[in-house]
Amino acid sequence: MSALKTDFGGDRGDLFTLMLRTSFLTVVTFGIYRFWRTTRLRRWYWSSIRPGGVPLEYTGTPQEKLAGFFVAVIVLALYIALFNLAGLFVAFSLSENDLSYLTFAIGSAPLALVPVILAARYRARRYILSRSTWLGIRFGMDGGAWGYAWRACMYWVLTLATLGLLWPLKTFQLEKYLTDRTWYGTARFHQHGSPFMLYLLALPFYVLGAVIAGVIVLIGLETDTATQGWYALSLPVFAILLLVSGIYFRVASVRAMAGLKELGDGMEFGLEPRTGRLLRIHVFGNLISLILVSFVSPVILGLVVGFLYLIGQVDADAITNTPPNLAGFMAVLTWITVFILYGVFRQVFVTYPTVAHVAETLEVEEPAVLHGIRQRARDNNREAGGFAEALDVGAAF
Amino acid sequence: MMVQTPPRDAQFAAKLALAYGEILDGVRPALQRVSLRLSGKGRGGTLELRNTQTNTTEVWQLDSLRLVPDQARADALVLAHLGSGDARLILRDHDAIRALLEACPGLPNLNGSTGFLPKLIALGAAALAALGAILFVLIPFMADRGTDLIPPSAEVNLGRASFERLATALDLRECKSLAGDAALLQMQTRLTEGLTLPFPLQVRVVDDPAVNAFALPGGQIAINSGLIDAAQAPEEVAAVLAHEIGHVVNRDGTRGMLRSIGSFGIVGLMFGDAIGTSAAAGVAQQMISSSYSREAEIAADAFAHRQMTRAGLPPSALGDMFVRMQAQGLGQDMGVFRSIATHPEFQDRIGAAMAADTGAATGAPVADAAGWQALQGICG
Repeated sequence: MSALKTDFGGDRGDLFTLMLRTSFLTVVTFGIYRFWRTTRLRRWYWSSIRPGGVPLEYTGTPQEKLAGFFVAVIVLALYIALFNLAGLFVAFSLSENDLSYLTFAIGSAPLALVPVILAARYRARRYILSRSTWLGIRFGMDGGAWGYAWRACMYWVLTLATLGLLWPLKTFQLEKYLTDRTWYGTARFHQHGSPFMLYLLALPFYVLGAVIAGVIVLIGLETDTATQGWYALSLPVFAILLLVSGIYFRVASVRAMAGLKELGDGMEFGLEPRTGRLLRIHVFGNLISLILVSFVSPVILGLVVGFLYLIGQVDADAITNTPPNLAGFMAVLTWITVFILYGVFRQVFVTYPTVAHVAETLEVEEPAVLHGIRQRARDNNREAGGFAEALDVGAAF
Repeated sequence: MMVQTPPRDAQFAAKLALAYGEILDGVRPALQRVSLRLSGKGRGGTLELRNTQTNTTEVWQLDSLRLVPDQARADALVLAHLGSGDARLILRDHDAIRALLEACPGLPNLNGSTGFLPKLIALGAAALAALGAILFVLIPFMADRGTDLIPPSAEVNLGRASFERLATALDLRECKSLAGDAALLQMQTRLTEGLTLPFPLQVRVVDDPAVNAFALPGGQIAINSGLIDAAQAPEEVAAVLAHEIGHVVNRDGTRGMLRSIGSFGIVGLMFGDAIGTSAAAGVAQQMISSSYSREAEIAADAFAHRQMTRAGLPPSALGDMFVRMQAQGLGQDMGVFRSIATHPEFQDRIGAAMAADTGAATGAPVADAAGWQALQGICG
């Protein structure tokens, strides 16, 4: 059997309608409808991705998400309350003459949430996988959220402490941790390769980092202010290049690691997103979204005021001498339209092309391995991504 | 009158007998071709699926069919069948899709049922109740216990440092004069007679036109010159001072800090999306902290009534001062610091001060004419 290619078949206009409608409902229900929005968007995106011509399906429900969210809010509220008070109490007792301890303690309190956030992201991924099917067979993931959380914390600390030298190691080890716990039906994924292969991809990033450090040292050594100025002018250019090389590393490492994943006994994958393409999508997509919002939002406001004028709720005098309740109404309306529209445009001009581009590069090699795969047991997963939702660390949809 | 439809149904059935679909059995990852035969319509109607490879036949009840919703492409209809587990039927043939949709009017979505709703509402109500209990019972309780455990010496140092910081930030000048300080000390001594304070008081006048006064942790009390200017009698200043001493005795500065920081970040959990609902979260957080301080203000008022009476001074002076504050419209908020003029329930508090006054104030004035004059002129 030859490799299976993937086509992406969603229509941008349909997505626009779906996103606009669900975002509006989300705002008017004070955020409750967002569980329905997320579910519907996932169903839509999953069904538009068709490896081998057969769409994925998302089987999660908004009801289970809402229930999981309620439970997560209670657990997190208890955790935050206890942690805040205990931390503050200790800091208070320590800070004899000095307010700075206390300021520091209050400022660093959110750090207590970092492990929780990491575990929540692992669990959200597990939930999503357990609700994703292809060819009628479920994906799945083993437990291990806390193991992931402490490893991720440790690798983050190491990466920061070594000024990024261990970034490729962190990227590889965490991806391997996730991949090796992922299943499709009765078959398990396995991440091959080693962290060292990623160091080559991070080379541009390190070279630019070294160049920037060198320029800063040169500025320090130089006594002539004019020359210093010229050196300093080059820094923004190098900083942008550093950012681009960092993005290149992220995309290229996804590519490299996808090529070294194996499902079951011999099924392999290709995933070839291009850095340049993704950069263009993000730069232009965000730009288009901003421009459209700044054009469309005033038009909507104008239509609303025009309608109010026609039905006699507003007279011409209100334009020069706006009553406070009308001004307040307009402010709220502006806020809401800008918020809704910006989200909608970004979904359509950034998220959509990103997903489409990545999906279209997916190839499944050795699909004959599928013959040996069977359905896996349902994962009840009562939490349903509730912690990620409460902490607002979910994905784009 | 009923319209006979058999010929049409027969037509559909004939069409569907020729139609093929693909089925995913939910057991093996493989598409299998099935030929379809539709009989009947709506309730009681059936869809017969014959697997062309295995030659096995399955019958699906039409009223157990569910549509898999939000499909990105309209070129295929994906159907599930209650009772057939994870199996999916994929129809791509347009005529077959039309015939099936006509035979199943109002085909419901998969998982579209609202039977979950009462359960969800109950769970949501329980979550809100638990959140309320955490914010209004557990956190205040723990903050109060925590305050008792914090050594007074730590609080004194902290209060001194916070006053210095505040004075720098707001550019507050401390007013001093020999006679003015003496009058203030006399007032303070009279109001604290027989009290055991957690720490020594540090009362000062600051040069600020706002009609206000505040207490910080560790016994730090500041009275604005604007409040002294607005007062018609020294007893009114004394009443405000008694109120602030109440905050010191109750260690409200520390308790308030523990409470509001303890609850920080909890309200945000309820509101996901950053921009749209963060305003709502901000309002809710503000309501919680003002509910905390309302409690503290009322307790400090009650303390002031008691101490004024004990010192032979009229508690109604506090009410008089509140009336003046209200008239000036200068209820200013000083952020996290206690301030007596922050709250809307002024009318209730004025009433309480008046009610506490039994008219039995027989003591000498809290300051003589010279002392009162010195206090009024303390900022020069």
